[in-house]
Amino acid sequence: MAPKILLVDDDPDIRDVVTMLLDAQGYETVAACDGIECLAALRAEEPDLMIIDLLMPKMDGFAVLKELEDGRWSKYRHIPILILSSVREEASRRRYELETALEFNVDDYVEKPINPEVLLERVQRLLNKNKKT
Amino acid sequence: MTTESGGRTAPIERERPGLTPEESALIVRIGVFVKMRWLAIAGVLIASLLATQVFDIRFSLVPIYIICAVMTLYNFLFLYQSRHLNAEASGWLPETLAVPLRLLLTIPKATSPLIEKARATGNVHIIVDLAALTVLLHYTGGIENPFIFYFVFHVILAGILLHYRVAYLIATWAILLVLLLVGLEYYEVIPHVHLEGFAAAGLHQQNSYILSVLIALSTCLYASAYMVTSISGELRKRQREVVALQQKGLTEKTRELEEAGKEVTKLEEGRQHLLRFLAIASHDLKAPLSAVQSYIQLMLGGFSGELTDKQKQMLNRSSTRITEQLELISDLLDISRIEGGQMVKEIEDVSLSQIVTDSVENVRAMATDKNIKLSIRMPPYLPKVKASGARLKQAITNLLGNAVKFTPENGAVLLRVTEQNGDILTEVMDTGTGISADDLPKIFDDFYRGGDREKTGTGLGLSIVRRVVEAHGGKIRAESPNPEDEQGRGSKFTFTLPHSVVIAGKERRRRGRVRNQKK
Repeated sequence: MAPKILLVDDDPDIRDVVTMLLDAQGYETVAACDGIECLAALRAEEPDLMIIDLLMPKMDGFAVLKELEDGRWSKYRHIPILILSSVREEASRRRYELETALEFNVDDYVEKPINPEVLLERVQRLLNKNKKT
Repeated sequence: MTTESGGRTAPIERERPGLTPEESALIVRIGVFVKMRWLAIAGVLIASLLATQVFDIRFSLVPIYIICAVMTLYNFLFLYQSRHLNAEASGWLPETLAVPLRLLLTIPKATSPLIEKARATGNVHIIVDLAALTVLLHYTGGIENPFIFYFVFHVILAGILLHYRVAYLIATWAILLVLLLVGLEYYEVIPHVHLEGFAAAGLHQQNSYILSVLIALSTCLYASAYMVTSISGELRKRQREVVALQQKGLTEKTRELEEAGKEVTKLEEGRQHLLRFLAIASHDLKAPLSAVQSYIQLMLGGFSGELTDKQKQMLNRSSTRITEQLELISDLLDISRIEGGQMVKEIEDVSLSQIVTDSVENVRAMATDKNIKLSIRMPPYLPKVKASGARLKQAITNLLGNAVKFTPENGAVLLRVTEQNGDILTEVMDTGTGISADDLPKIFDDFYRGGDREKTGTGLGLSIVRRVVEAHGGKIRAESPNPEDEQGRGSKFTFTLPHSVVIAGKERRRRGRVRNQKK
């Protein structure tokens, strides 16, 4: 069965690009526009990987990460998270740690604009890693 | 005969905690009354003995002794009372009596009940003393006794130690008491004690004498009251002015501080507002470009079908332009953030060797593409520094990136880190085209791109490096050609981080270095 990837981004063009890219590789892609949809889709779809943007309306990626730290999401904790953002990784890390006092615990971080090869390679790596463990 | 004389200094009594300066000063003054009374009693005894034994003035000493004993007794009482003066016990008789007196003399109400009480006590002391002196005079010749003028001391003390208007009251009391005494003796209601061997007999019924003494006494007392009043009134006025000035100064300083505080808050709010604005602007400026760039990359990657070479070429050019634009936005926002003071928040303890290694890794691929030899030389143990790790990495990466960019294929780029007198020196050297003498002084300016327009770049890279270094209290300079290059090629960029950012810690192992030397 093809791995299922949950893609969360408020930018429809980015959703389009990533979906095209992942579909071409034979992955099944589920898209969401914000953090609230993301959490709903997480429950409904139980994906193998999440690709999450950070700056989004309603509920942003930081809030999703914080929410997932909560005990009631422990069931989904094994699902790897890849952050896809135009914000630099260090800046995001500092912001998250300053605001929540939690560790910025993500499996990978890819900065936009998207380089197809790089993104696919990282996705592949995360899926393989999770399969092994 | 003397009453209250001498003892001019007011010794500091045990400071009672929780009293205002005015309250404790008043209590000290009550203590002064008590001390002076001891002196007065001793004076009376000495004067009486001298008068009878040395000057052979004859009068009975028994009443004197009795009066002195009474004075001693009530002085002990006053002493006890002054030590236990407190505001709690109310309804004390002198205090109640003092209220109409205060109203009569239009003395402003005391600022605390304790002061009220102390003032009332002072009044009682003086009135009792007036009575004692009058009785004493009665037994020592009445109007014949020149010590009758000693009432002046009561007036002066009242003027100095109590409220100045009380001085007039005391003067009036004294005159009334003397009038009573002299009147009663004159009309022989009470017996007259004659100072035999001192004054002529019958003086107490000699009208002209009595009148002159009374006039002299009254004028003396009122004049004293006036003088004391004006002097101590002036003093008190000065004192109040000084206090008021101090208060005013304090209020002004407080207000200035408050205003400065508000200003700082406003500035900080403005800064926060700017940084929030920049964060949003950054995202919104980059997002569309990112999307376009992502599409282009998708097409170039062949994910949307085959492309002709012409199409590929055009898309590659578009991609390059967009990358440049994204870099420009990043650089502009970086400069705004640094200028906005964001770096202060980013300062933490960072490992310099880690930063150096990461920076080199950032340009490794670029160097490999051009077959440029990229080498690092640094001591095995570099200290930790207080710095913005991200910015420092950005600065070193920028310098290395420039070096690689301006060095032809098969060249070499060297990064060297050393410690000099506690400062940390970072040098980036290359074997590249170098910088012309015209360009050299301007390369750290914003948007300065040098004569070689062939190379891409925003012209902000080095100005960001300069800002980062300066924000850490360091200095940067460039040399071209690189003075260390044997063939006189390339350029050398050197920046220092001052020893103040260095954390002396476990990472530093080398000894013998000048560590505490000041810059």
